[in-house]
Amino acid sequence: MKTFSLNSVELLDYQPNRYPFLMIDHVSKVKPGVFAEGYKNLTSNEWFFPIHFPGNPNMPGALQLEALAQMLTVAITTLPGNKGKVTHAISHTVNFRKEVLPGQKFEIKTKVNSWNRGICKGFGQGFTDGEIACEATMIITIPEILKKFLPKK
Amino acid sequence: MKSANSKNKLKYNKVFVDSFSINEKQLKKDLKYNSITAWDSVGHMSMVALLEETFDIALEMDDIIDFSSYNMGIKILKKYKINI
Repeated sequence: MKTFSLNSVELLDYQPNRYPFLMIDHVSKVKPGVFAEGYKNLTSNEWFFPIHFPGNPNMPGALQLEALAQMLTVAITTLPGNKGKVTHAISHTVNFRKEVLPGQKFEIKTKVNSWNRGICKGFGQGFTDGEIACEATMIITIPEILKKFLPKK
Repeated sequence: MKSANSKNKLKYNKVFVDSFSINEKQLKKDLKYNSITAWDSVGHMSMVALLEETFDIALEMDDIIDFSSYNMGIKILKKYKINI
């Protein structure tokens, strides 16, 4: 499949999260089922900076991870038939390397390791100033697809 | 020498043991879907994937749905000419 980009409006068709929980601004490159890359620009106006923390604003780790997971989601929801489908997290293992600060561009690279029967296993990294800020192995699912394959209880 | 069936049984059991981090004794009680924490929806898909890799088969969707227990799996695999 071809590689393409999604601007801040177009990506809404492939990512169901909305403000204040949409953690990606732009998808620079996505190859459906293979990878998705893009970024979130962080200004001082982000809702979480005043509260995390007063006097020492930095992006919460949980939201960094969320940004990675949202980008990985785009790599899956851009596959034929998956547009607009809701995804859920199943399991994430994350390491944080440095603080992510107001004024920085949070760049995200994610890769699909496997996509089968509604389950995506993948890997993602977040960067600021060219250095790794966080990285995670992730398992996400599209429940609507997964449920079709499960034994009846 | 071990028969093909007994080799298959060893491989079949190993799929369960590796997928769900259990011991073989737990299989004798006809382990069922959702009867242990590890055999949940994700565990089911991981087990099916490992089973397909181990026996070099591709399970049909209906068989994945019907694969609700250890013993049921043995019946299903017969369709794929794998006798256990």
